[in-house]
Amino acid sequence: MVPESTTTVRPELAARTAPRPRLTLANVVKSFAGRTVVDVEDLSLGNHPIEGLIGPNGAGKTTLMRLIMGSLKADSGQIRLERAGHRDVVLSRLHAHKIAQCGVVKTNQVITDFDGLTILDSLLLSVTPERREFPLHLMGERATYEEHRAEIERQLDHFGLENTRRLALSAGEKKLVDIIRCLLLKPAVLLLDEPTAGLPGEVTQKVMDAVDDLAGNGTTVVIIEHDLDVIWNLCTQVTFMAEGRVMLRGEPSEIREHSTVVESYLGQGHV
Amino acid sequence: MVLDTFLISGLFHVVMLIGLALLLHLQLGLSRIANFGVVGFWGVGLYAFGVLYVRVDWPFGDPIQFVVCAALATVAAGLCGLLVGWLIADLDVDGVMVGTLGFATAVALLATTEQDLTGGALGMGGLRFPYDTGDVAVNELIWLLVLVALVAGILAYVWLVHRNPYGRLLIAIGSNEPLAKSLGKPATRTKLGLFTVTSALMGLLGAMYGVMVRFLEVSSLGIELTLAAVVGLVVGGSVRVLGAVVGVLLTVGVFDIVIQSYIPLPADWYTQTIPLLREVMFGLALILVLVFRPLGLLGHMRRDRLMKRIHGA
Ligand SMILES: Nc1ncnc2c1ncn2[C@@H]1O[C@H](COP(=O)(O)OP(=O)(O)OP(=O)(O)O)[C@@H](O)[C@H]1O
Ligand SMILES: [Mg+2]
Repeated sequence: MVPESTTTVRPELAARTAPRPRLTLANVVKSFAGRTVVDVEDLSLGNHPIEGLIGPNGAGKTTLMRLIMGSLKADSGQIRLERAGHRDVVLSRLHAHKIAQCGVVKTNQVITDFDGLTILDSLLLSVTPERREFPLHLMGERATYEEHRAEIERQLDHFGLENTRRLALSAGEKKLVDIIRCLLLKPAVLLLDEPTAGLPGEVTQKVMDAVDDLAGNGTTVVIIEHDLDVIWNLCTQVTFMAEGRVMLRGEPSEIREHSTVVESYLGQGHV
Repeated sequence: MVLDTFLISGLFHVVMLIGLALLLHLQLGLSRIANFGVVGFWGVGLYAFGVLYVRVDWPFGDPIQFVVCAALATVAAGLCGLLVGWLIADLDVDGVMVGTLGFATAVALLATTEQDLTGGALGMGGLRFPYDTGDVAVNELIWLLVLVALVAGILAYVWLVHRNPYGRLLIAIGSNEPLAKSLGKPATRTKLGLFTVTSALMGLLGAMYGVMVRFLEVSSLGIELTLAAVVGLVVGGSVRVLGAVVGVLLTVGVFDIVIQSYIPLPADWYTQTIPLLREVMFGLALILVLVFRPLGLLGHMRRDRLMKRIHGA
């Protein structure tokens, strides 16, 4: 007799097999003061639910993500987003806020926050639709909160964040709020720039659970991490960058086979 | 009448400055657009209104003539806001200050040189109230009440903005524009929209002032008006709803009304010494507040309390 568990497909697995949002980069070049910092000929992200992006300090990982987000403009090249049920869009032609509206969002390596806003403000800002932010729409505050309350509270519970009506967050709390803001947007593509740096181990695990959950629901996740254990555990595809270029790309096991290349950049004992 | 003309015009000035400082609160306090050209937008409203009202032969009389001219003046100031806002959109704080200051200087220069239209340095008369009760003091009192209603409307709007998603958006953009954009917020468009509308309303206040004084002088286009609005706002607290009200009352209100009305000052001081004394006192108030209470008398924005009040603890 066949056990029942093999006959029913788990919903998150079904989502994993559906075509995912995909980012395609072609000949993307960026230089600062004559020094080329990113030079990516051809890279496609999104064939796997969670992809890793690794490389030494200054490899151009953050810059690459900022180019995707439009907070930096590439000198040349094209970045496209393909998404089932949506038209293909050339992100590199759009303004930063339009790119986010296409469902591509990023958490920040360097702590960034809105000073003067409470945690609740920050999260509500993230979920408020544009029509409620119209200058003459002066009744939308409570409704926005009621609509998103369950989702917001679920995330706050998950991360153990309490007393959201306060200002003056710690660095770690700011980092978490930055991540939750992105999670609440239910993005098509989530770019995580060293999400666990500066967070204690158990919180790191909670972040990873949330990310795994999102990926299970069809989001394409790309994660930059210096802690390679996180990468080997979470990712099914890894890109190794150095000096602005893609040096290696493959499954974690394949990358680890090229340990000499990786170690030459990251130092011994990393792979 | 209990109210004499001097007191009414003093109150008018104070209420008008509260209006300007409230609009500046939306620009500077929330969105961090450092507009140092307040008098420019106000002046465009004032002069556009005056020129349209006096120089054009309208086929209709008051009050329609007033409404049409004031509306056009408001639009003119709004268009200036749109243009200046677009020019300063990507500048840093210093650039915004210099750009808006430059705009205000250009407006004053234009009003002085375009003598055929504005009367230049000689000034321009021919304005009047859009109604007539037969008593100037009553006319002025009614006009003061109209202004009070308008500024109360602006205050109510600002109060609501703080309690709604639009206000949160403005604060977010002012505090971290790239981060707001990365969450899908159209920061540039939002700032431009805000700047256009608030500049337009500054222009409307200018048009209303024109009716009150009934004689346009280019000397009113100097930096004093901007300074009074900025000082008032900063002294009261630039991020608080009531900062503009408290600050303007404590600076312009105290000086122009209390000191000038109730303290016997020598008559020959009025032309030169008092305006000078006024600037010195405002400057002093600004320095004292910046040193001892940098956020103004009312202090922090206190979103924490507001969020508790709206959404519960
Ligand atoms: N705005 C900028 N102006 C000038 N140079 C820059 C700028 N941003 C990044 N760089 C340079 O580009 C290079 C790549 O930086 P980037 O932040 O992308 O590296 P990274 O791979 O994210 O490194 P890390 O692992 O340390 O975060 C660095 O040498 C950096 O000095
Ligand atoms: Mg980086």
